[in-house]
Amino acid sequence: MNLFEFCYGIIHWLVDLVNHLWYWLGDLLPWWFGDFFDAVGDFAASQGHLSVMTILLEVVVVVVIALINVLNFLWIFRKFMARMFDFYGPYYVGYRIGGWLQNLADGIKLFVKEIIVPAKADKMGYLLAPVIFVGSSILILATIPFSVDFGVSTNKSGDYVPAGALFALAAFAIAPFSILLAGWASNNKYTLIGGMRSAAQMMSYEIPLLMTVASVFLLAGSFGFVDIVNAQHDMWFGIPLFIGFIVFLVCLAAEVEIIPFDLPEAEAELVEGWTTEYGGMRFGLFYMTTTVRSYAGGALATALFLGGWQGPSLIPDEIWFLIKAYIVFVVFQWMTWSLPRVRVDQILGLGWKRLLPLAIINLMIAVALKSMGWF
Amino acid sequence: MAEMWINMGPQHPMTHGLWNLRVKVDGETIVDAQPEIGYLHRGIEKLCEGKSYPQIIPLADRLCYGSSLTWSHLYCMAVEDLMRVEVPERAEYIRVLTIEMQRIVSHLMWLAAYAGDLGLAAGFVYTMRDREVFLDLFQSLTGARITYNFPRIGGVAHDLPPNFERDSLRALSYFEGRLKEYEDMFEGSKIFMMRNVDVGILRKEDAINLGVTGPTLRASGVTYDLRKDVPYSVYEEMDFDVATHKDCDCYARYRVRMDEMWESCKIMRQALQKMPKGKWRIVAPRNAPVGTGLARVEDPRGEGVIYVVGDGSERPYRVKIRSPIFVTVSAAPKMLIGYKLADVVAIMGGLDMCIGETDR
Amino acid sequence: MADRGKRGQEGDIERSPSRIDSVPEERLIRALMNAFPEAITGFLKVRNGLVRARLDRRDLFKACKFLREELGFEHISMISAVEYDDRFEVVYHVTSYKDKLLLELIIRTPKDDPSVDSVSSIWGGANWQEREAYDLMGIKFNGHPNLERILLPRDYQYHPLRKDFRGD
Repeated sequence: MNLFEFCYGIIHWLVDLVNHLWYWLGDLLPWWFGDFFDAVGDFAASQGHLSVMTILLEVVVVVVIALINVLNFLWIFRKFMARMFDFYGPYYVGYRIGGWLQNLADGIKLFVKEIIVPAKADKMGYLLAPVIFVGSSILILATIPFSVDFGVSTNKSGDYVPAGALFALAAFAIAPFSILLAGWASNNKYTLIGGMRSAAQMMSYEIPLLMTVASVFLLAGSFGFVDIVNAQHDMWFGIPLFIGFIVFLVCLAAEVEIIPFDLPEAEAELVEGWTTEYGGMRFGLFYMTTTVRSYAGGALATALFLGGWQGPSLIPDEIWFLIKAYIVFVVFQWMTWSLPRVRVDQILGLGWKRLLPLAIINLMIAVALKSMGWF
Repeated sequence: MAEMWINMGPQHPMTHGLWNLRVKVDGETIVDAQPEIGYLHRGIEKLCEGKSYPQIIPLADRLCYGSSLTWSHLYCMAVEDLMRVEVPERAEYIRVLTIEMQRIVSHLMWLAAYAGDLGLAAGFVYTMRDREVFLDLFQSLTGARITYNFPRIGGVAHDLPPNFERDSLRALSYFEGRLKEYEDMFEGSKIFMMRNVDVGILRKEDAINLGVTGPTLRASGVTYDLRKDVPYSVYEEMDFDVATHKDCDCYARYRVRMDEMWESCKIMRQALQKMPKGKWRIVAPRNAPVGTGLARVEDPRGEGVIYVVGDGSERPYRVKIRSPIFVTVSAAPKMLIGYKLADVVAIMGGLDMCIGETDR
Repeated sequence: MADRGKRGQEGDIERSPSRIDSVPEERLIRALMNAFPEAITGFLKVRNGLVRARLDRRDLFKACKFLREELGFEHISMISAVEYDDRFEVVYHVTSYKDKLLLELIIRTPKDDPSVDSVSSIWGGANWQEREAYDLMGIKFNGHPNLERILLPRDYQYHPLRKDFRGD
């Protein structure tokens, strides 16, 4: 049973329950109101309304799962960093579960902080930038399914979006605009520099990223996630396209802006980089969204290179998918806390001079494999 | 993009102290730089004129809180020169031992801040943790972790506590193992080398001309170390090498400081071995004669000098303090111009700035 | 360490008969005496490695140029300013890396005109030290490229290290 049918069942049951009450109420009321109630009840039980409600429930389910995973990621981030540094990490809040509730506590703290808008900031840009950033980042999750049955963009009969991966990568690439807008609208030289660095870095790392993904599309023969994962049933794409996998991971780290690529928000030089002027929950949203992006990136890496949800069927497919995404995330964290920051012109040099040729080599390997008929 | 002036500081996570660096950037390249200091000026030289000679020792500690023992020893040496007091030998050995331990502590703090600024958070935490070993030793010796108030005019405040030698040797062997690991961690990281090699070059002639001293000078190829060339205290009896490097960049400064830490371990072991028994302090006279006293010391940051003028009373007439970082910061524009904005961290971090002694 | 207590008297070197100039301190003193016979007076070898002399303030720039270029004193360690009842004294400590010597030059200026020539064109390290002496003691350095206050605010009125500054 896929997610659509599951949610449809819930909505159907809910609408039936409410309609029971509704029709009974309508029977009690005199002539005109009764008709009105009947009409509304019929509308609620109609197919179109049920479908729309189902989709909304699916979205809520997927977003809630994403946010819970983000909380987990944040917890792993802090615990992993702490253990690498020989101290405890979150410890007291949620004492018995290892400090997991610390992030909730921090979120509540950010909620109750005063939100200040700088006087000379460009109001429109300042208020719009977080909206675009958060919106586009959550949009990435729209087409990534956890398994064949668990995806928000599958419909009742299990058809999926044919260009799912393309859509996800396109949504991934909207963020640089919002970062530049945030950096510029804050009316602060530091944030302007941070925003510009970030835009340059992200733009130059999009290209090797997309070229490696192009090699995956070539081998799979389709743009859709389910097709790509099914094409990996013999061998995960990460093995023949090993160079591409490494390039993809490095480009992902640069897109998500973690150390060693986090010069745009380098704390030592630019205070907080392009988010300096944002306070309270706005900053909390930015922070959470960078984690959502690394979660989405991990999910993409899993689906494209690590075989998606395939694994021994002791554990359900969705859990496999999550396990692999977590492994990618943990590898990123390992890298983050072991390496210094790369200077921005060295980052750009790395992107254009080293990763782009590797991505092209990878593409040629994919062409060779495809023409030999192995995939 | 047009050129613009950026203020880095006075409140800034990177700048290690309260000072302002105005850089003029053209895009990402630095075109001009103007350091501005004076935010931490406490008027120490004037304060000294109202206090008696022993009362100034804690004040001298607070000159550079990163390596406070060096400054209070320097002050005591200057006053002993003025009063023509001869310090007993055991006190001299204790002084050398603690000064070298302070040098290790100061360089570890430099390394922690430097690594942290470059983004290597693990480097920060590990070096700070190893600094704790020596701070525990200091605490058992003097009771404090940062500003010790340990030297006295005529010696040191009290003798070494029992088992100090055993604990120090244990700490040294632990530390030497860790120092090897740090060298591997930093120099094995290609990114660290990329950020440091060929960055912030200061030629030998410029370094000498601009009055730069200390590890920055030795990293530009000049072999001048006050401990070897103008020996004071009992450094003549110690056998050690002067650390120099011939590239004049940030990597050279890092390398010189690491070598200095190795040499300090050597000196500490020798001091522990050669320490004689005897008095650790003689009581100095209360009033100083009319005259002047001068002392120079190789501070972890450069050449520190104190010039004391006495007028026959129990208070100094004038105390003049020369801070190495004061002059090195004036040489900073030479090292910064032509490099990128992101190199400011590496270059200024490599100078090991401590604003306490700059502003006094 | 052993000879720290042994100090000479001022004028010792000049009064003594000709000695063999084998020690770097004495070579330095002979060179200075030959080059500036009236300007530099009162030589004293304070201890090993430290020589003190008095210098007339009118010949400061020439003497420092001579020290830098002929005698190889490349580094200026410290510029101090001291105020006495009847005069100001500016004390220059100059180091030679080659010979490992420190030369202490004491310059007197009258109380009503505390100004000397700036040596920052000879030694670049003197630049900020002279600014500090100006800032805190009020000594003017003629020819300094940028004689502004450095530690105190730009518009501060007083010179705090002077003895008549009470701080209240």
